[in-house]
Amino acid sequence: MTITLSRRQILSAGTVAGAALFCPKLALADTAAADWTLGIADVEADIAPRALRRVAGRAPAGLVGTLYRNGPAKFRRNGTSSGHWFDGDGLMRAFRLNDDGSAGLTARFADTPKRRQEARLGRIAVPGFGTRSGVGVAVNGPDDTNPANTSVILSGGELLALWEAGSPLRMDPDTLETRGFKTYRPDLAQMPFLAHPRIEPDGRIWNLSLSGSTALVWRLGADGALEAVETIALPRASYMHDFTATARHLVIVLQPWIQDKFSLPFIDSLSWRPEEGTQVLVVDKDDLTKRRLFELPAFSFFHLADAWEEKDGTIRFDGCLEPTPMFAITGAPGYVRGEHIHAPAPMLNMIALHPGGQATLTATSISAEFPRNSANHAGVRRRHTVHVGLYRDDRPLAQGVGIWDWARGRDDAFDFGPRHLVEEFLFVPRAGASSEMDGWIVGNTVNIDARATELHVFDARHVSRGPVCTWRADVALPIGFHGTFVQV
Amino acid sequence: MQFLNFAALSIALIMLPTSVNWTAPAIAAESQSAATATPETNTVEVHFTGIQLPTGTVMLALFDSEAAYSGDGAPVHTSFAPVQDGTATLTITGLASGQYAIKAFHDVDGDGKMGANPFGMPTEPFAFSNNAQGKMGPAVWADAKFDVAAGTTVQTITIQ
Repeated sequence: MTITLSRRQILSAGTVAGAALFCPKLALADTAAADWTLGIADVEADIAPRALRRVAGRAPAGLVGTLYRNGPAKFRRNGTSSGHWFDGDGLMRAFRLNDDGSAGLTARFADTPKRRQEARLGRIAVPGFGTRSGVGVAVNGPDDTNPANTSVILSGGELLALWEAGSPLRMDPDTLETRGFKTYRPDLAQMPFLAHPRIEPDGRIWNLSLSGSTALVWRLGADGALEAVETIALPRASYMHDFTATARHLVIVLQPWIQDKFSLPFIDSLSWRPEEGTQVLVVDKDDLTKRRLFELPAFSFFHLADAWEEKDGTIRFDGCLEPTPMFAITGAPGYVRGEHIHAPAPMLNMIALHPGGQATLTATSISAEFPRNSANHAGVRRRHTVHVGLYRDDRPLAQGVGIWDWARGRDDAFDFGPRHLVEEFLFVPRAGASSEMDGWIVGNTVNIDARATELHVFDARHVSRGPVCTWRADVALPIGFHGTFVQV
Repeated sequence: MQFLNFAALSIALIMLPTSVNWTAPAIAAESQSAATATPETNTVEVHFTGIQLPTGTVMLALFDSEAAYSGDGAPVHTSFAPVQDGTATLTITGLASGQYAIKAFHDVDGDGKMGANPFGMPTEPFAFSNNAQGKMGPAVWADAKFDVAAGTTVQTITIQ
C-alpha cells in the first residue's frame, strides 16, 4: 500500500523535517515485492578485475575508454544501518571498454576513515547526511565522516572521488587504490567540495564549498592545479547539491530548504519554507562581486544541467525539479530499509533568467533525473539533455533513459521495463563529432532477473531503438550516483 | 554543505591560541597556578607519538579544571617541544596533586597557532590527554582528565 501525501498536507506539517517524523509509518509499501532492493544491497568486498560478457549487440567501433562511476555500496553492519541512501560507503567502479571490443569491470571501496572506523567498531556509527552518530565514534573533522560516495572526476592525473561536505578523495585511476584526501593548499584541508563541479570545455573547473550562507568558490586549471579561491556571501543558507554555470557566470540556485538550526543528522537542520520561493544568484566568473538575484516559485532539486547565455543576455539552464524535498527526507532513507515511500518524481524543467530581471520556469511533460549534456557544450547553447526517467508510482528508481530535444519538445527514450533499475547515463562524443549528439550514451542498469549489473551503449541519435551493445557482469552492484567517461 | 557543527571545534576552544602565552619548557614552572597552599613537586611526562610530518613543534596546554578546559579560564601550564623522529616529549614539574587534562596540537608550519580553513575547521593535527576523542568538537573533560599524584605521571598521546 502506498499513501501519497498531497503537497498541501506536507506543507501543513510545518517543516518537512516534521513531516519526516510521520511519513514513513504511513507509507510502508512493497514489502512483499522488494525485488528492487537488489539496487540498495551491500557489497562486502572489493570487486577484483574481471571480464564483462557481451549479451547483446556489437561493441561500437571507436568507443574506447573507462566509465568511472561512484555510489554508495555498504549501508549495514551487524544489525545497524545507515539512516540514508546518501550515507553508504563509496564504491568506485571502473567499466573498461577495450579497443578489441571486450569490456571489463573493477570496483574498489573508497578507503576512508569513516569506513575504517565502522569496520573496526563492527557497526554503522559515523554521522552523515541522514545518519545519526553512534556511541564511541571519533569525529575530528569533516573528512572523518566523508564516505566519498557521490561522484568522480579525473583531474591532474588523479581520480577524485567526490562527496559534498568534505575533501575529494584521491584514487589511482588504474588500480582504484585510495591515496588519501586531496588538499589543494594546507589551509584548505577539510573543506567541503561539491560533487558537481562545473567543467568548461577547455577543462577549467569551477566548484563551491558551502557552509551556511557562505560559499567558497574554487577555480582549478585544466591540469587540476588550484588557480584561485574566493569567499562569497549567499542570500540564504540553502541546501545545495549542485549549481550550474554559463561560459561567463556561476548560476547558484537556492531552494527554500534552509538550514535554520543545528541538529543531527544534518537533514534535520533543514526546514522547507516554500513561502520564501526559490532564488537564483548569478555571479560573474571574472568578478565575483558582480551579482544578480532572481526570484522563482518554490521548488526543490538535486541536479541541474549546464547553463548558457543567449545573445540578448538571457541565461538558460535545465534541471530536474521536485515540488518538495520529500524524496530526500522520506524516500531515500526508505530505500535503505527496503521500503518504497512514494515521492513525486522529479520533472525536467527549463529555467530562463531574463536581462530585465524576470525569471521563468517552463516544465516539460517528462519525469527525469541525472540530467547530463555533451561536455563539449558546457556553458554554451545546446539543444539536448540526457536523462534517466520513466519513473512509476508503484516502484522506486528510474526505468528508462532518454534524450530530451528542447527544440522539438520531444524525448527519444528507451524503456528497460520494470525488471531493470536504471542508473545515470553519460554522453560520449564520437571522434570528430559533427553535431551535438554525434556519439553514444553509456550507462548501467541492474538487471533484477539476471541479478547482474549491465553496461549499455546507445547511439545517441537513436535511443528508442535500444542499446547497440550490452555487456553483463557476474555481480550485481548497487545503484550508483554519478560518473565520468574517460576516452582513450 | 558542511554537515557537522565544527564551529564547536574552533581554534579558540581547542587551544586558546590568542590568549595563551606560549612558554618554553625551561620556564614553564613559572606559569604554574598559585592556588595550592603547599608547594608540590609532582611531575607529568607527556610523550607524543605517531607524528606524521617531521616539521614544527607540538604545542601543549594543561588545564586543572573542567571550566578552564572548556574555555572558561586559562591553562595552568603551556609549553612546546620540537618534533624529532615522529615524537615529541614534554615534562611538566611542580604540579599540585589533582585532576588535569591536556589539549595539544602539532604546529606543522611553526606559526605558533592552530591552522584553520576558511570555514574554521582545524587543519593541523590535534589530540587530548588519555587519547580522548572529540566528537564533532573537542574531547570532553570527563574523557580527557587524569589524576596527578606523588611521583611522575606519564601520558602517551598519539597526535596524527
